Parts: sequence; structure tokens; C-alpha cells
Amino acid sequence: MALLDVENLSIGYHTQKGYLHAVGGVSFSLEEGKSLGFVGESGCGKTTLGMALMRLLPPNGVIRDGRILLDGVDLLQKSDEEMREIRWQKIAMIFQAAMNALNPVHRVHEQIAEALLTHNASLDKREAYEQVEALFQLVGIPKDRMQDYPHQYSGGMKQRAIIAMALACKPSLIIADEPTTALDVIVQDQILKEIINLQKEFGISMIFISHDIAIVADVCHDIGIMYAGNLVELGSREAVFNNPMHPYTKALLSSYPTLTGEKSRLMPIPGETPNLIHPPSGCRFCDRCPAAKATCKTGEAVWVKISPDHKALCYQCGADCRNE
Amino acid sequence: MKMTNDKKAILELENIVKKYTSRGSFFGAHGKEIIALNKISFKIMRGEIFGLVGESGSGKSTAGRLIVRLEKPEEGRIRLNGREVTALKGKTLKEFPRKVQMIFQDPYQSLNPQLSVFDTISEPLVIHKIGNAGDKETAVWQTMKSVGLSPPDDFINRYPHQLSGGQRQRVAIARVMVLNPDFVVADEPTSMLDASISAQIFNILIEMRENLQATLLFITHSLSAARYLCDRIAVIYKGHMMELGPADQVIQNPKHPYTKALIDALPKFGLSDEGIKPYNTLLPVKREASEHEGCPFFPRCMLANTTKCSMEKPLFKKIDDSHWVACFYAKNE
Amino acid sequence: MKTDIETPRKAHLKKFPWMDRLRRGWAIYKQNLLGKIGLSLLVMFALMALCSFIPPLIDKMYQPMTGVDPEITRSTGPSLRHWLGTDFMGRDILSQLLAGARVAFLVGVSAAFMSIVMGTAIGMVAGYMGRFVDTVLMRLADMIMVMPTMLVVLMIAALFGQLTIWTIVLIIALFRWPGVSRVIRAQTLSLKHRPFIEAARVAGASHLRIIFRHIMPNVLPLSFLYMTFRVTSAIIIEAALAFLGFGDPSTVSWGMMLQWVWKTGHMFKAPYWLLPPGICISLITLAFYMLGRAMDEVLDPRLRKEAGSD
Repeated sequence: MALLDVENLSIGYHTQKGYLHAVGGVSFSLEEGKSLGFVGESGCGKTTLGMALMRLLPPNGVIRDGRILLDGVDLLQKSDEEMREIRWQKIAMIFQAAMNALNPVHRVHEQIAEALLTHNASLDKREAYEQVEALFQLVGIPKDRMQDYPHQYSGGMKQRAIIAMALACKPSLIIADEPTTALDVIVQDQILKEIINLQKEFGISMIFISHDIAIVADVCHDIGIMYAGNLVELGSREAVFNNPMHPYTKALLSSYPTLTGEKSRLMPIPGETPNLIHPPSGCRFCDRCPAAKATCKTGEAVWVKISPDHKALCYQCGADCRNE
Repeated sequence: MKMTNDKKAILELENIVKKYTSRGSFFGAHGKEIIALNKISFKIMRGEIFGLVGESGSGKSTAGRLIVRLEKPEEGRIRLNGREVTALKGKTLKEFPRKVQMIFQDPYQSLNPQLSVFDTISEPLVIHKIGNAGDKETAVWQTMKSVGLSPPDDFINRYPHQLSGGQRQRVAIARVMVLNPDFVVADEPTSMLDASISAQIFNILIEMRENLQATLLFITHSLSAARYLCDRIAVIYKGHMMELGPADQVIQNPKHPYTKALIDALPKFGLSDEGIKPYNTLLPVKREASEHEGCPFFPRCMLANTTKCSMEKPLFKKIDDSHWVACFYAKNE
Repeated sequence: MKTDIETPRKAHLKKFPWMDRLRRGWAIYKQNLLGKIGLSLLVMFALMALCSFIPPLIDKMYQPMTGVDPEITRSTGPSLRHWLGTDFMGRDILSQLLAGARVAFLVGVSAAFMSIVMGTAIGMVAGYMGRFVDTVLMRLADMIMVMPTMLVVLMIAALFGQLTIWTIVLIIALFRWPGVSRVIRAQTLSLKHRPFIEAARVAGASHLRIIFRHIMPNVLPLSFLYMTFRVTSAIIIEAALAFLGFGDPSTVSWGMMLQWVWKTGHMFKAPYWLLPPGICISLITLAFYMLGRAMDEVLDPRLRKEAGSD
């Protein structure tokens, strides 16, 4: 059974200018021990999706529709009190710009111990600190740096501390939202390798959100491509990379300069992302799509199955997509 | 008429040293002196796109700022077209911005929120008293079209907060282009933009080189972007030049262990199973080392010799026709 | 280079693109209840000030200072002839109240305006130039701020005898600019290192141009905001001075009215005379304060950023 099953999730924000359709009708499942990456550019809804899974949307955010089934239990039916239990113990999150998530006036190991003690009443202080020590060793922070304050840590170390905090209560699912964005290339590589190792070792399922398709490709088993609030392609890493189907996926892949291979002219995607307060009817990528047809604006969304583990969203009639 | 075939050096940095003294943190450390650039030298040829690649703290942005005279170096000289620019006065000082300009990293902060797009782009013309009102409008219109802010009428009266990140960066580029400078420093112009928008900006920069015959210094942390855009790539680490050479050579045949480590660290788009052998020049744990002696990469270098590399600084030397490296063990393979 | 040079149609370049922003600011302002109340009150007072010219035109006896009712020579309560009654000399209280509104606006706005102009200029220069200039200007500001305003003003008044209304305005401005300058200086400091200022320097802008073209427009909203607070303070100072007998004897202000009530012993005997000026001072102060709070919401940069994106 899948650990996480999301069915038809729709999320929006009430803003001054109107209701913003941030995420529309997203469905996916995540098996235990596997990792799923969500890739998209700013405004595509991936962070909103991540926050919604933890039910941590800001006050003006609302989950309009859908179900989030964790181990078969719908999280949207839970009360705030029950969610607080679930957070950190079953689902943990590594936020964007997590480096500022550490309280600057407390020592790092204290903060992690506090997280442990809050969620596990049976622990006493000594045990908590022992567990913290073990965690630090796991994430690769030297023992003599445990008692430092956050500002004494480098960016990479802070990120490791955040990862340690996320692992503290041994969650079954970790949602990582751009965990390495602000880090240098080499440190980023080390942290990502660390994350992959930890995930394998503990069999933790992971949802990895990033704007960088290259990172997601290195880290995750499966990839979901998001555009303007919709999930447009979903499949295993190999399938999506070697055989991208959706025009947006293809366009996205060809806007990244590569280090190896032929140096072809980058093809940027013309135009801008659509306004999500008044989203266009039909396919949201239509205005920028090189393969657009008249039916795209009026057709219905259909998931075209390209292979057992690869599907793409299309508004043209199914056969056309397969021919691209 | 500038000739793109003229391979003379348009910009030269010679033994530049830049120091910063920090005032000491709250917890009592006294003011530390940080050497952002430690005697770096390189030349940029007319008409090329020169890439300066480094991580944070490498000094790459500092080099850019020194070139546009936002700051002054402690030692060393910067020459533009053979003339020293570190100590300019009077009329030549006033005309300097018409020759050298900069595109900043953060499109959300590099535009004055109180000025409309037209005001922002026309300002350099106003400052340098170029043309009458009609000329200015024409110049702004043309520049806006060449950066893709078309039709210009849609944008001229907008304010920065009504523009997307990509559009803002185009305005910033237009502001630079309107003066028709010879040399443009682009300081990480796409690091705050999405990939597809970055691609648009890259292409604008390439066109800038072709249409304006401007020389570009592209400062970035991304080797892949540098490979795409640049003719030559220089790698900088902790204020020291590590490697410099034609882009393809540096990427396919890197000589410095740091460059190799950078290449290893880049995500491979899931192609890592394809048997691309990593260089593995990075130590898993940093070594203890003196900050001022020896090679700056010594604490992390797998290939280092513990005596020589910790005591002596390797010189930045040519190892073949156009390839420079600062390493005792770089071989010319 | 493209060869088709389109001649730009000049009509498309808006002369005052900032008008749109004013309009949008107003749209935000309108939603604030406090702002609406404050503005309504101020409109009421402004009307009062405008109408202050009317009573003397109706009849000479309604002149606030010199008009004396031939039939009444003492303080009387409200009647048909005198809607709010008369003061101890038989002068009409309502016309005095209207005249007082005029003075309040005049003094309040002028003094506030002068202190803002001085405070903004000094704050910007201090923040931008830094070091010596900054230190000198800010120590000067500190010295003034530390002084007990009322005491010093009273001393000056005592030294120079009776003050004219404009001298009072000048003195208020001189005592109130330091508060503004500190805020403006702080704002300037935070702006000074922003990339768009550096971009202006790289483009070749002179220091003066940077201060007035780049820093000032970003600082002005804050200045205007502070102006509303300064107005209240100016009105109160003037009222206090008048009440204590140091006001301009040739102008009728609410504070002056209060002084007359007190001095002639009518404090508890003539509520129709005591209450109107007191209430007016409180209300106008409140109105400006509400205006300031509503403007705060308009000017808060959080409101002006684009809708949150991922």
C-alpha cells in the first residue's frame, strides 16, 4: 500500500485581488521508502502543495477539494490537535531557506533536544541529548560543534542541523522544500548525497520540491512536473528524462545549459506564466506551447499513459500526444 | 567602428588586492581582516564573453565591483584599453560609466521602486546629458525592443512591482545598454530567476555582444551556464585565481583539483549511471591549515602534498598556449 | 541592429505615472475605517475653517475678536442669535470656534510642513553622507530632542514678550524636526546600500542626484506619514502656549479661548464656552492621528508587493 495517496487536491489563496487558484486537481501516490520530486518554476504551486500536505498553509490559504491519505487516513479530516501530533512524528518538513529556521539565541543541540522532548513525553533530558548526539553523527556534524550557536555554523552545517531536526522523531515521510537552494555547489552536492544515504538507510519516503530539475533528477526515483498549479507529467526519473512527453517538460529540459554533450542554443519558453487569479480555460500552458491546437482550450484534461510508470496531462485528444 | 576581430585586451587586472575589515561579531572576536582578492591578475579580450566562476566568498563579485569602481582596491591596477582606471579624475571619470556598466544580481532590488520603467532606463541618458527629450524617448524605445520588452508602450509606465523577475532584469539590462558601453559586468544576472527565464536572459546577453559589440564579464557560480555563454572561463577560489582557459578546455580537460571538484559536484541530470567517472579530488573532511600560507585549496585537496602545498602558494602560470593554472601538480596532458 | 526605428508616440508616455499609485493608495485607504472617520472629521474641520469668514459678513457683531453684541456684555448661554452663546465680553463663541479651526489648520499644517522639510533634508544628508556630517547633525538633533520643549518655548516667549503666530510656527518647527530626521536617517541608511542606489552610482549619478532622485522619493512617503503626527503635536503646542498666555493676542485660537475661560473665572460657570474649544482640540488631534494610522497601512511595503508566488 502506498504510504501517501493524494487525490484530486485543489488549493487556493484568498488575496486582495481575488481567489488565486494555486493548485488544481493534483493526484499522486508515494510508496514507502521511495522519493518523489516536484519540479516547477516559481508560481507553479509546488511549495503550496508541500505546505498543504503538512496542513501548514497561511491563514488565507484554503484546501478546496481532495483528500490526503497518509497510511490510509485522511489528514484533511484531522483536527488541529491531531495534526500537531502527526507533524514531526509522522511527517517532517525541511523548509525553504531553512537556515533561518534555527533560533539564534539557543544552542543548536538544545533546539533539537527540545523538538524531541516535545513530541515524546517518555523521554528524559539525558536520553534526548544522547539521541541528539547520535543524530549529529548521522548527519555529519562533528561532536565538538554540537553546543555552538546557529550563527557559528556555516550554511551547510545549518542545513545538516535542520535535517537532523527533521529526522529526530523518525518520521515516515519527509517533505523537503528547496533544501539546498542557498548553498554552494559543492556543499549542495554533499548535502544531497547525505539526504540520499539517509533516505536509503532508514527507508524514509521523501517528497523533494525544487525548481532545479537537475537536482531532482539526481535524488528522486520519480518526478512530477508542475506548471501553473497543475501536475502535467508524472513518472519515473528515467522515463521522464529520456522520454519527456509534455511540451512544458520538453521546453523546461531544453532551457538548462548542460555541462556535457552538444552545446545547442537554449530555447527559452516565450511569454510568461498565466495569471492564476483568472486562470485560462483548458490547458494552462497553451499560450506558450509550440504544439498548441484549437482543442487545447476547450478540451478536457486527460491523463495519457505512455508507460506503466509514466503519464502526461493533455487537453488534446489522447492519440495526438503520443505522436509528439 | 569597433572590430570584433581585434583581439586586444580591453580590460586588464594586475595584482589586485582587496581587503575588508569586519568589525568583529557580537561575541567578542576583534575586527578580522578578510582578503577578498589576493593578488589576482587576468586579461579580458575585446569582444569576448569571459566567465568568472566561483562559489560564495570566492571574491568574484568583488572583482566585478572593483571594475565598475564601486570600490577601490588596496593594491594593484585595473586598465581599460590600456589606460589605468583605478585613479581617474575629472572628465575621464565622468565618462567612465559610458564605457563600463554593470548588471546586478537581484532584479528585485536593483530597480528604484519609485521610478517607472521609462525613468529608470532613461536616467543614464539624463545623467550624461545625451540627446534631447525626443532622442531619449527613441533610444529608450529601441533599447526596450532589443531586450524583448515589446511592445514598449505596454511597459514604459509600469513600476517595478508590476513586473515579473525576468521583466525587471530586462529593464536592468536595458538601462545598461542604453549607454552603449564597451564593457559590461554581469554579476550573476540569472541566479534569482527560473531556468526558462534565465535562458531568455542568456540569449539577450549573447545578442548584446553581437549587436553592441560589447565585451562581457559574466560572473556566476554555475559552470554549466558559463560553458554555455562564455568563450573563456576563469575559476576563482577564496580570492585566488585557480584556472583560466577556453571554456571547452576547462570543462572537458580541467587541470586544477578545485575545478575538477566543481565539475564532480554538478548534478548530472540523472545521467550519473552512465559511467562518467568522477575526478574525486575533494577530501571528505577539511584539513587544518594556516589561513595565509600555502595553497588556498590545500585543506580540501585530495591530491595535495602535505608539506609543499601547505607552505607554498602555487603561482598562476601558463601551462600551454591559452591555459593557466595555479597548482604544483597540474600536468599538461 | 534593427533598422525600423518606430517614432514613439508621445501620447503614450504618461506625464505623471505616479497618479496611478495615488489612486491605488486611495483605494487601500478607503477600506480602513479609522481612516474614513479621521478624514470625515478633518473635512468637517476644514469646512469650519472655510466658514469662519461668513459670520462677520452677516453682521459686524459676529467678528470673533472685536465683534461685540451691543445688547450683551457678559457671558450668556446658547441662544438663537448666538448659537453657542457669548464670551465674557459678549463676543460670539461660534465665530470664535470657526476662526480657531482656521488657526489650528494654519499652525498645524505650516509647522508640521516646515519641520518635515527640515527633518527630511537633514535626515537624508546625515544618513547618506555618514561619518562626520552624520555625527554632527545627529548630536544636534539629540540636543534639541533632549530639551523640554515647553519650558524652552516659554523662556523664549518670556524673553521676547508676546509672540506672533508665525514665530510660534517657526519655533514649533525648530523643535520638532529632530524626531523626523532620525526616522528619515534610518530609512536612508537602509536604502543607501540597496543595489538600485549602486546601479545609479555605476550609471554615473552624482551624490546630489542620488539623494534627491533616488533616496528622497523612497523616503517621502514616510515623511508624509510623520507629518500627520507632527500636526497634532503642533496644534497642541500652540494651544498650550495660548492657554498659558503666551499666544498671539491678535489671533483667536482654541487655546486662546480656553485661556479666556479660565482667566475670567468662567471654567465651571460656562460649559457652552469651555467645552467646544476643548472638544475641538481633542477631535482634530484624534482625526489627524487616525489619518496617520490609515496612511501607515497604505504605505506599508508589504501591501505593495506582488501576490505571493511559490
